[in-house]
Amino acid sequence: MNAITPMKPWKTPFLKLIFFLLGAVKPLQKDLKNLSFIHFARWVCISRHAFPRLSEQQPPENLKYDYLLFFSNFNGTWNQYIDAFSSVLSKGLDLIWRWSEKYPGSQPVTDFKRYISLVQFDTDYYYNVYPDSATNDVKAALRVQSALVKFSQTSQTLSSAEFERAWLEFQVEVSPHLGSTGIAPVGT
Amino acid sequence: MGNVNGTTYGLTILSPILEDNRLDICHSMELRWYLSQLPRDHRSPFAQLSSTYLARLVVMDDVVFVGHPACQEHLKSRYLVFETNFDGDLDTYLRRMATETKEFVDDVWRHCVGFPGTGDARAFIAYMKKCQLSTTFFFADVNDQTVDSTLEALKAQAALAHFMEKNQGKSAAELQRAFGEFLERLRTAPPLPRGGDESRAIPQEKRRHD
Amino acid sequence: MTEIDVSDIQGFALKGYNFPYARYLLLELAEPAAARKFLYQLLKVVTTGERWDINSKPMSVVNIAFTFRGLAQLEIPLASQLSFPLEFQQGMKARADILGDSGKNSPEKWDLVWREDRVHAWLAVNARTADELEKCCGDMLALMDETQGARVVQAQEACALTINGKFSPKEHFGYTDGFGNPDFKGAERDCVPGQGKLNQDGGWEALATGEFLLGYADEAGELPVAPIPHLLGRNGTFMVYRKLHQNVGIFRSYLEEKGKQYAGGKEKLAAKFVGRWRDGTPLELSPDQPQPAIVADNDRNTNFKYSDDLAGTRCPLGAHMRRVHPRDAFGFNGGLVNRRRIMRRGLTYGEYVPEGQPVNDSDERGIIFMALNASIFRQFEFVQQQWIEYGNDAHQGNDKDFLLGNHEGKGRFVIQGTPDPQNPPFICGGLPNFVELRGGDYFFLPSLTALAMIATNTVDPR
Repeated sequence: MNAITPMKPWKTPFLKLIFFLLGAVKPLQKDLKNLSFIHFARWVCISRHAFPRLSEQQPPENLKYDYLLFFSNFNGTWNQYIDAFSSVLSKGLDLIWRWSEKYPGSQPVTDFKRYISLVQFDTDYYYNVYPDSATNDVKAALRVQSALVKFSQTSQTLSSAEFERAWLEFQVEVSPHLGSTGIAPVGT
Repeated sequence: MGNVNGTTYGLTILSPILEDNRLDICHSMELRWYLSQLPRDHRSPFAQLSSTYLARLVVMDDVVFVGHPACQEHLKSRYLVFETNFDGDLDTYLRRMATETKEFVDDVWRHCVGFPGTGDARAFIAYMKKCQLSTTFFFADVNDQTVDSTLEALKAQAALAHFMEKNQGKSAAELQRAFGEFLERLRTAPPLPRGGDESRAIPQEKRRHD
Repeated sequence: MTEIDVSDIQGFALKGYNFPYARYLLLELAEPAAARKFLYQLLKVVTTGERWDINSKPMSVVNIAFTFRGLAQLEIPLASQLSFPLEFQQGMKARADILGDSGKNSPEKWDLVWREDRVHAWLAVNARTADELEKCCGDMLALMDETQGARVVQAQEACALTINGKFSPKEHFGYTDGFGNPDFKGAERDCVPGQGKLNQDGGWEALATGEFLLGYADEAGELPVAPIPHLLGRNGTFMVYRKLHQNVGIFRSYLEEKGKQYAGGKEKLAAKFVGRWRDGTPLELSPDQPQPAIVADNDRNTNFKYSDDLAGTRCPLGAHMRRVHPRDAFGFNGGLVNRRRIMRRGLTYGEYVPEGQPVNDSDERGIIFMALNASIFRQFEFVQQQWIEYGNDAHQGNDKDFLLGNHEGKGRFVIQGTPDPQNPPFICGGLPNFVELRGGDYFFLPSLTALAMIATNTVDPR
């Protein structure tokens, strides 16, 4: 998802300060990790004077607003994503977007969705190195892999009886993380 | 600096797109057409740029008018937005772009203002850095892995689930032998294809994370 | 306490009648004037949500709901028609891709009545006795005859199962059913622990009325999306009707085969599939054996959470009940779950086959699944797509719901466990379709006021 929202330039430093604090205290990060459907996301504040100008022939931009760009690499459907944001991340989102013009707040969700639809712009090309795996799948696989590496170091030197016990414990450890991967359901 | 989170680098590029009134098909339209035809599976240029997790290319036509009392304003140029998330440092990645995916980079950025071509990697790197926006806040759910280690883990997890199912109820000795063989098979099995298999032919709208 | 207008709401939206007999008359409506005349006559007999006096409990009840085609047939104004939510306008068949209704569940495999798009209305009769059912259905047919307003395309029988000569709360696979409907504000009963939503103190409270009835605030603090004029929607709700065929033979032989391999034994395996022992005891409360005392106690039989069992060692992460009513399993104190709840109204159809007797899976046997919700899109469709046909929220990747999933022989269900030899991890592979969809549609269950507006042709979208 890509979104762009205008901000009055005097507000930009406040937003930057909030991001600085966010980076330091990390409450939003924790919630985002628990929601676990965003691989990577980024917010980019772009000053009205900072749009790249690469030659004299390129006309200079003449803007009144700074802009906040947002890029999110999430899995799940659009509605699921926005619903979840509105239900459980409301305060964090408001802290970030309240500086943008006409931001209605993340609750109630209907106005929030209308605003997102308005400021969103579509992706022309998208590449994902593991298109069959959601964020949860990646995290599950990493847990399994780490247990497997540990177990395989000793597994072949154990006696049969020791192996039986260790194998059971290994299975207990990995069994919450064995979901299959594949294509996700279609959005609506 | 916001561009790095753990071992992952988040690059944001905004390259102004050429405007040429003499052309009957404008640069942005040609670029969009090219991007719509570019493979998204293991044949993608980003599968070559093997440290890439997720990348997007977007033609941004203008800023958005959010309604009164906000002002309506417009950009003077269209911009190509390039957002990519990869392992390692920026210079290495850009150099690999210029050398390993030369054709793709030339095909895309030839529509952009001031693009020096990929012949001189240093000039290309300098150009991209001029187009770079620094990220204010970069979130990465997992930030201590590489593309290789992640693909390795996904492969191992799928294989292990299968192994566990097929070997339920075997005696300990049998199981131990089979597990040894399994580890060997896993070690020699080819890695998962970056970007997925084309036989899956996942339509664009059904792919994750877009 | 939210005041709701029980005399204007159809009884079906407010309570499970718990009558053993039902017949769902699937109607084709006649030309609008005659159809309206029929509905006008029906107004006098439709059962509302008013409380029943102990001494005057009715012997039978009548409720009605319409498909979008039905409303179009009645010629309500176009502006009102088009104000209904998109998914209702499209109908369930057109939503097959979204719902995962493909392969054996795809619309071309459905019963003729659903393939042909002829159902305009669902006229439900529930009764205490077989005689009362016949009598009431006879009255309905007489009304249709007299007004020439509708005819029955098909009559779907449904009936509680008779096991050992008695009516039973079980369904065909042998599980006790009928626990766990969400409580909402204004409904008849007080909030039962485990049945509403979690509050900040860790207790349970009723959900917002607007999750289940149009015209009231929902969990987002908004009025649900509803048709115009408001009176047309208010006190109404949407219903999903799905005829789910149960492959009892396939289920029993799968359970038998895997039960021999699973160290905990067959009955425990059956419990792991669903999250309850077949008598109804929740695994979370009693992981080692069924406990009838818990089942009998309404303060306990649905009163549990999953946050103490995040590894799924008691109730597997992918167990049916845990998927479709995840409580606090996804964290955020249930905050991701409260707007995905549905009200279930279901009844079995077909003969129960006792354990050990031969079963023919081509016999008509299954459950008429009906779900009520304010938004089919946000509630039922989400549950079906994300929690039944997909497993990401339950941290089970692409694994589908064991019971309802459209597995096509390839499904997998992982049972988590402990080092206890009686409770080891176990993987059920090669899952077949235990349940097959035989048809259904999306319906609008109007209030009495709205029904009167439709019957008198006075719907005015302004």
